[in-house]
Amino acid sequence: MANNETDIKIVAFLCNWCTFTAADLAGTSRLKYAPNIRIVKVMCSSRIEPVFILKALLDGADGVLIGGCAPGDCHYSKGNFYARRKIALAKTLAESAGLDSDRIRLSWIPASEGPKFAHVVNEFTEHIKNLGYNPARREVYI
Amino acid sequence: METMIDSRMIMTDFLAALFDKLDVAAVAAMSKLPSGEKAAYTLFTDKSGLKECVPFFPAMPANAARAISKLTREEAPSKTVAVFLRPCELRALTELIKIKQASLDNLLIISYDCSGVFPFQKINLSDETKLNAYQDAVSTGKNSEGIRPVCAACTRFTPRGADIAISIVGRSADQPLVLSFPSEKGQTAAKQLGLDVSKTVEASPAVESLARERKTAEEALTEQVNESLSGAQGLVNIFDRCISCHACSYVCPICYCKNCYFDSQTFEYFPESYFTRMTAKGTLRMPVDRVLFHLGRLSHMGISCVACGMCEDVCPVNIPVSQIFKTAGSKAQAVFDYIPGENSDDPLPLLAYAENELEEFED
Ligand code: SF4
Ligand code: SF4
Ligand code: SF4
Repeated sequence: MANNETDIKIVAFLCNWCTFTAADLAGTSRLKYAPNIRIVKVMCSSRIEPVFILKALLDGADGVLIGGCAPGDCHYSKGNFYARRKIALAKTLAESAGLDSDRIRLSWIPASEGPKFAHVVNEFTEHIKNLGYNPARREVYI
Repeated sequence: METMIDSRMIMTDFLAALFDKLDVAAVAAMSKLPSGEKAAYTLFTDKSGLKECVPFFPAMPANAARAISKLTREEAPSKTVAVFLRPCELRALTELIKIKQASLDNLLIISYDCSGVFPFQKINLSDETKLNAYQDAVSTGKNSEGIRPVCAACTRFTPRGADIAISIVGRSADQPLVLSFPSEKGQTAAKQLGLDVSKTVEASPAVESLARERKTAEEALTEQVNESLSGAQGLVNIFDRCISCHACSYVCPICYCKNCYFDSQTFEYFPESYFTRMTAKGTLRMPVDRVLFHLGRLSHMGISCVACGMCEDVCPVNIPVSQIFKTAGSKAQAVFDYIPGENSDDPLPLLAYAENELEEFED
């Protein structure tokens, strides 16, 4: 059944300067990518608190994608280094809670790389489809 | 290992000497309450109250680091205060110093190898049988029956970072205190106390055997928590009786925030938001975000969790909060090679980074 789940939902937190711009570029270049992501734009990947990610998962998102500038290229020079630590923490806590940290992906996608953005979204969507629905999705007592 | 010396003082002499020889302005330690049943962390400014002082009473009505934070946060005291802290309280204080919620200036820290405490509700000053059994366990280096599970599984029970360390595991209660002075402040204090440093005492093998027992208990606890924390269903099973009182965060020494994020407007929603969630799920338990509070709190302070057990002590519905936080916290600490409370100079992991690290968490 896992492969047919067409309404898989992925929350994507993208930084304004790189990955969101790449998403924009993918759009204006008319690249097709899986329609399962819901984008939340943030100014910097370091704005993404582990709480955001854990909340998405507990509320039933099937996957969480975090996109930021490549290390060394942060618009604010070092935000993504802090972001990497926060994502590492979020993944570790998700794993401790048995929430499958594989549903969380951190990708560095520079502004000029529209095709990379489309590729990452497609690949991650496929990966989440293989994992199937997040069991928290229908959990009403969580 | 610091040299341990026979101080030739029993506790009452030692307490008096703090005032008489070290000229401290105050002593902070546990003392008997008028009810005669419970004890509380107390500040003494002269010797007259000291007969009520019971520094080793095995209960933790509050993590004393919170009290010391209150005492020192606005500014360092102008005169020396001697404070008794259990090792986990000292670790919590060290974490609070990193976030500028406490200061070590003018504190003389007295700590000791800790045999653990009972849940606060489960121990009274009049519980002679229990207290005697506890004392037997202290002097033989065993875990006493009935102490809190995180205490029984605590492997950091020696007083690192103290100015004066008292060795009690493996020793009987009525023998003179065995002291060591690991810091510079401590060394100065030793001189002022006028101790005969040639009277050295051997480390007790009971400390080692307690460490072994604790290690085994810690492994068992970790395994048990990992088994129960098994995804959405496991989280529901563990936390379904949580009444969202947030007492666990109010007593946590690391949760220092005046206005907790999880009590903030961020988690107030418009009705429409509830309906959206319900449409997806069909039913919705209220209030929402119950499990999120715990995982979210873990993400805020788990890296600094000193496993003091306070959160579990106050939970009105007996959720093993501190066992969960100790276990999940240690895993997060390990990612950053971080030991909370080890050294006040270690930067908090989320406020630091290295350019090349943690690649395993990318893509
Ligand atoms: S989470 Fe619990 S065990 Fe950890 S420091 Fe806070 S009160 Fe202590
Ligand atoms: S849960 Fe977070 S916001 Fe609330 S008191 Fe603890 S650290 Fe502060
Ligand atoms: S103290 Fe217990 S009931 Fe209250 S919020 Fe914490 S876990 Fe839930």
